Amino acid sequence: MLLDIFDPKAPPQAIGIDLGTTNSIVAHVRDGRPVPLTNCDGSALLPSVVHYGAEGSVLVGRNAAAYATREPERTIASVKRFMGRAADDVETKRLGAYKFVPGDASVVRFDLGKLTPSAIEVSAEILKSLRQSAIDQLMHVGGAVITVPAYFDDAQRQATRDAGRLAGLDVLRLLNEPTAAALAYGLDKQENGLFAVYDLGGGTFDVTILLLDGGVFQVKSTGGDSALGGDDMDREIAERMLSAMGATTTQTRTPEVVSIALEAARRAKHALTDAAEVHLELPQKGGGDVQFSLTRADFDAWIQPLLERTGKSCRRALRDAGLSASELNGVILVGGSTRVPRVRSYVRELFGKEPLSDIDPDLVVAYGAAIQADLLSRSSDEVLLLDVLPLSLGIETMGGGVDKILPRNTGIPAGAKATFTTYADNQTGFDLHVVQGEREIASDCRSLARFKLSGIPPLPAGFARLEVSFNVDENNLLSVKAVELTTGITQSVEVKPSYGLTDEEVEQMLIDALDHGESDFELRRLRDAQVEATRILLATDKALDSDADLLDNAERARVEQALTEARRAASSARTASVVENAISALDDATHEWAGRRMNRAIQSAIAGKNLGAVERSVAHAAGVEAHLANHLERQPR
Amino acid sequence: MGVEPVFGLDLAILEQRHRDLSRALHPDRHAASGAAERRMALGRAIEVNEAYRVLKDPVRRAEALLSLRGVATGEGKEPPASPALLMAVMERREALAEARQTKNEAALTRLIAEVHAEAQRAQAALGTEFASTSSNSAEILKRIGELRYYRRFLDEAASIADDLL
Repeated sequence: MLLDIFDPKAPPQAIGIDLGTTNSIVAHVRDGRPVPLTNCDGSALLPSVVHYGAEGSVLVGRNAAAYATREPERTIASVKRFMGRAADDVETKRLGAYKFVPGDASVVRFDLGKLTPSAIEVSAEILKSLRQSAIDQLMHVGGAVITVPAYFDDAQRQATRDAGRLAGLDVLRLLNEPTAAALAYGLDKQENGLFAVYDLGGGTFDVTILLLDGGVFQVKSTGGDSALGGDDMDREIAERMLSAMGATTTQTRTPEVVSIALEAARRAKHALTDAAEVHLELPQKGGGDVQFSLTRADFDAWIQPLLERTGKSCRRALRDAGLSASELNGVILVGGSTRVPRVRSYVRELFGKEPLSDIDPDLVVAYGAAIQADLLSRSSDEVLLLDVLPLSLGIETMGGGVDKILPRNTGIPAGAKATFTTYADNQTGFDLHVVQGEREIASDCRSLARFKLSGIPPLPAGFARLEVSFNVDENNLLSVKAVELTTGITQSVEVKPSYGLTDEEVEQMLIDALDHGESDFELRRLRDAQVEATRILLATDKALDSDADLLDNAERARVEQALTEARRAASSARTASVVENAISALDDATHEWAGRRMNRAIQSAIAGKNLGAVERSVAHAAGVEAHLANHLERQPR
Repeated sequence: MGVEPVFGLDLAILEQRHRDLSRALHPDRHAASGAAERRMALGRAIEVNEAYRVLKDPVRRAEALLSLRGVATGEGKEPPASPALLMAVMERREALAEARQTKNEAALTRLIAEVHAEAQRAQAALGTEFASTSSNSAEILKRIGELRYYRRFLDEAASIADDLL
């Protein structure tokens, strides 16, 4: 072990991160089992709190939380609730201590005087702290899987991935939290059957119905509410405490008073897990203390409306899966808020069975993330996760309606196309608005992006035909492309994400974050390119071992040569572009071969079946003649 | 998907095929490969998921089978619904609107069950039509149209149920 410490060639270890509303956790797989990595104060749970000192210091975790009542405005908790949101979102108007920079339509920024960090940057601070804990213990950290609520929309996912990039992580995958939990349970217990995962965290609720079958984790449906969780329970209690404290108006509800009430509410909630009644002393307006008592029965009644909202999501998820509660083999509890006794009894009543909670509900998601990171980095084929799109994707139509292109619960990766036409003579431009959600009116859904297509040939109304393709990748991230069919030319698409940061902004922040600017950035690019090259060299060697017979002699020589050059570039090049060029040359040399190998894989997957028939029926059934050609241009950010 | 092009498809086999193909093509299986291969696998995986989605859905499966026979499909190609069907759908719609207004969950559940049974019958009829030796495309199109009516009703009822539940 001691030898490893100074060995820069120690193999990189993949990590899994649960970036939670209340707590965040990093874990990895050691000797085949997931274990949490502790942070500097020896705990697995890092409170998701960031404190920005007036003089420029940044604290994360317990040290930051210590400032919660002293400097509430500069101590940011539950930042996850602001991811992928805008300044005027409802979330910013709820009970809380923060001031926001008004008017920013694409991202929430906290107003801290000189500093105005976005929600993405605040999250990146939490991730940096987790990354540091991992580096301290593992020396060499490889790729990371970061979990997100299943019900997160595209903007919230993009924001999470950008936070990962800002924190210097190689984000292998965004994984849905309930799927991660199921992975941890499924591998631990080796159970098969239909399961529901009820995941009530600090700020988000998810329910996922999935089928476990011999290493396949197939999500049947998912539902939830990305703004519902333990925080809302705290607010229910805090509202009553504030009344008792005499703070009933916005003037008396100063950030300090509000954060004292929220903190007391959190403690009362935790105490009620074991006690039937709690008594607290709260500071009263105008001095002195006031006695505040709370029984579990009161608390249960107050949170009942919140529970019913989760029940509605569960019933819908069951219906979407075409199942009834009695067909489930088990219900898995995830998230710290499922420690509340009333939540457990509610779940028992809802599904008619005793829920499982034998893996710590605070850690189970991070365990699943670590397992997935380990599987991905080893290219293991023991397990296959088949997930779904949580919310329908569509295009705004004339008149403000929504044309749903991909319905919710479609298996991912997914793709679909829709054709639109011009409505005016000689119209040469076309505006497209991509939205996500279940509502019939576009303005009630989340706006994901606006596109401007230009250069359409002037034709009478209704003659031009615009084909819009949607693709959702394995991270549940959307990309869109549009083609004008009469000219057959792909029009340049200008993508303006409605939320989040642009690629340029993220890039600039990465450069700014490094002390020595450009040269450090270049060095990091070189490292990244080398890691990528090593990965591809290994994969190509493996492919040569198994599928060299699919190459003729000339092709084989070309592949070998590209391989040699890439190997040389990876070990000796000093600039990233040399390595990147060598990778791309290798990519070119192996392109056709990869197609043949893919066909062989399909063939062996459907052993005994004639490949031609398979391909024909796939193509005919779906009418997907040119998905590959239409593969999306919007570069992953 | 390597399944017979028939309407009376064995859904268990379809599901198994989908999983086998996903095992071969899912992007997770190609995470370590080069960019071109990853793109290719992603494209193929999307095709497989799309084909699975089409084959699982009786309306789209029926349309795909007709396309294989060279028959144009789509809502515009289907013959207009019979007056009897229209009447029945209209009556049900009124009942649905009433259940919505009075928030009558029991009535809503009953309506959904009734129409669901109708849809099952229409689907069975569609299966019989496909299987028959003298199977007639116009008749099939008519049945697809019927099934579509029921589906739409059920979708609407489901979203009303969402609000009520």
